Amino acid sequence: MLIPRRTLRVGVTGLARAGKTVLLTSIAGNLLAAGAGLPTLPALAARLGGRSLRIRLAPAGADALPRFDHAAHLAALAADPPHWPARTDAVSLLAFDLDVGRATPGLPPRRLRLELLDYPGEWLLDLPMLAQDFAAWSRAALHRLEPYAEAAGFLGFVRGLPVAAPRDEVLAATGHHLYRAALRRLRDDRGLAMLQPGRFLMPAPGGAPPWLGFFPCAGSGPLAGLLRERFDRYCAEVRHSLAAPVFGGIDRLVVLADLLSALHAGAEPFADAAAALGAVAGALRWRRRLPFLPAWLPFVPGIARVAYVASKADHVAERQRGNLAALVSRLTEVPRADTAADTDTAAVAVAAVRCTEDVVWTLEGHPVSAVRGRVAGAARAGRSYPGEVPDRPPDAAFWAHPFLALPDFEPMRLPLGGRAGVPHIGVDTLLDFLVGDRL
Amino acid sequence: MSETRVVPRFALEEAPIERLEAASLPLPLPLPLVPPPAAGAGTLGLAASGAALLVLGLAVLVVGNFVAAQFDRAAWLGWLTLGIATAGFGLIAASIGGELRGLLGLRRVDHLRLALADPARARGAALAWLDTLAEGAALRPALAAAEAPEAIAALLRAGPVAALRAQSDALGRAAALQVFAAAAAVPSPALDGLLVAWRGARLVRQVAALHGLRPGTLGTLALLRRVALAAAGVVATDLALDAATRAVLSNPLLRHVAGEVAGAGVAARRMVVLARVTAAACSPLQ
Ligand SMILES: Nc1nc2c(ncn2[C@@H]2O[C@H](COP(=O)(O)OP(=O)(O)O)[C@@H](O)[C@H]2O)c(=O)[nH]1
Ligand SMILES: [Mg+2]
Repeated sequence: MLIPRRTLRVGVTGLARAGKTVLLTSIAGNLLAAGAGLPTLPALAARLGGRSLRIRLAPAGADALPRFDHAAHLAALAADPPHWPARTDAVSLLAFDLDVGRATPGLPPRRLRLELLDYPGEWLLDLPMLAQDFAAWSRAALHRLEPYAEAAGFLGFVRGLPVAAPRDEVLAATGHHLYRAALRRLRDDRGLAMLQPGRFLMPAPGGAPPWLGFFPCAGSGPLAGLLRERFDRYCAEVRHSLAAPVFGGIDRLVVLADLLSALHAGAEPFADAAAALGAVAGALRWRRRLPFLPAWLPFVPGIARVAYVASKADHVAERQRGNLAALVSRLTEVPRADTAADTDTAAVAVAAVRCTEDVVWTLEGHPVSAVRGRVAGAARAGRSYPGEVPDRPPDAAFWAHPFLALPDFEPMRLPLGGRAGVPHIGVDTLLDFLVGDRL
Repeated sequence: MSETRVVPRFALEEAPIERLEAASLPLPLPLPLVPPPAAGAGTLGLAASGAALLVLGLAVLVVGNFVAAQFDRAAWLGWLTLGIATAGFGLIAASIGGELRGLLGLRRVDHLRLALADPARARGAALAWLDTLAEGAALRPALAAAEAPEAIAALLRAGPVAALRAQSDALGRAAALQVFAAAAAVPSPALDGLLVAWRGARLVRQVAALHGLRPGTLGTLALLRRVALAAAGVVATDLALDAATRAVLSNPLLRHVAGEVAGAGVAARRMVVLARVTAAACSPLQ
């Protein structure tokens, strides 16, 4: 008689280029290597404490979701010269079957199915909208657009709308297209992140239903009424889809943020990224498990654990990685994974695929902790000290000096072409936080 | 933030480099301090020591008797015999001394590891270690400025440890190449194994010598034990490392590897890994 497998579904989310695909690839490579007995994930091994662990890729069966192509991504990283995984926008799923040995001999192994879902972070930005009504959301959204020249066209259109504008399809469509174009340009040219609704920038698969055609608008006339109806429908869809069989049933969530790039982008984009992260953290606080039910109860829907992760942490040296984790922790008001034990939220700094080694670099007579990696295409080593990572939201003095762009370092060599794991920093801590309680 | 702000920067180094490898990084797992072998652990060891003492002691007595007898025959014969006996026993004593020194050298690595982790002694220990290295002098000023043990460790890691590791790697690659080339010329698989074993043992000693250790035969055996232990602590970079570890663990590296050689490629790869693990075992830092 076979004991049924329990499923644990982990959503991995973050804005485009935050490092979702790379993280999933690293998790796949390292879990499979750990299953082969290699010590690639020390924190997980410590959790197991000598118990056996068998890990296999789960058969796809008749699943609805496309599979995450970890083999191709691993091969790309292992190639010489290496490539980063190709850009992916579609939702995909990575699934493993785990057999975890028990401390008591004789008992059958615990059977677990671990699913990791690549979930666009843009959609996560819709969560804060669920707590707002159309008028409040419109006010906030219009206010955020105000400083930017990129949004001038759209703002001009909205302000120029007559108070009693009719429920006109063409007007709604025009406003919607202008708004969408403004969002796209703010993302691409300005590097902004706090852009709602997320499905405008990252459309869901399938065609665009009519209720998608809205935009923020301050008035209270008939047109505003139409837009409100569409907004409400949008929110209902988001609420529904979080629980839907395809995207729903997420038990654990990883929110990735490329804070180092945001630090480089400057004060304004950083504040924006911080606002986005804070908003998501705020929204997730009430989206999580119902507070009156005890945490150990199985089969209670809801997201039981959330990890906020600063990605690409290998671009800075050890001490700075500590600051980076502290910065995430402050921005999300969540304790750090390495200091707080057994919490349901945690902040960590992770490098999914390590590209650098720490070096001490003597600059102007001072030893600074920097990193050194092989620069892609140059075949030479580059030393990088991008600046001091603040351990709290940076003040004006910080922005007086630039934080350098992240160099294009090559991933380290993958031992045995990826079959013996992927060099990383902190992926084991992250996995232990996410699934450790089920092992 | 510090008062003296260093301007952020990025710089390309001149020399081209290979892709970085995870093994050349400070590893997340601390290398276990190798426990000193438990004194008088095995009855077998006791028996062996007793046997050695008997053989050597009885030999001294027999030779002493013989010398005395020779003196009775003729003074010149006595002196000649005494000279020969002294030279012979002197050579044996010298070899034992060498072995002991080799073993003590291994102990020194343990002491150095402990000292480097201790804030009070770290700098002194680091400076002393630099003295034993060929290119150690360059780092002295930087070390003099460093305070915390972590900073000292980072400096050593960036400087001599990295250099030693690179040189060990080079030795490993050279050995691998030789094994690879020679394996093609060796007629029988059995000889293959012998070749690997001999080259492996030599490689271990070469890498040890690089780290300022000069192990004798006993020292090499102790070193092989260390290598095995170090391999257990080093995060494996390679499945082959596992194999090498097993081979070394069941020590007669010599015998075991001989039975296991699957192909010259595997053997060659093993040399590279062996060099790396040996470097880890001999280095006061990981
Ligand atoms: N150095 C470094 N770069 C990373 C890491 N993870 C991601 N990157 C970089 O970020 C890019 C985007 O990553 P990707 O996973 O495709 O982002 P996604 O859009 O969130 O799936 C990659 O192409 C890499 O250049 C990491 O751990 N270290
Ligand atoms: Mg992707």
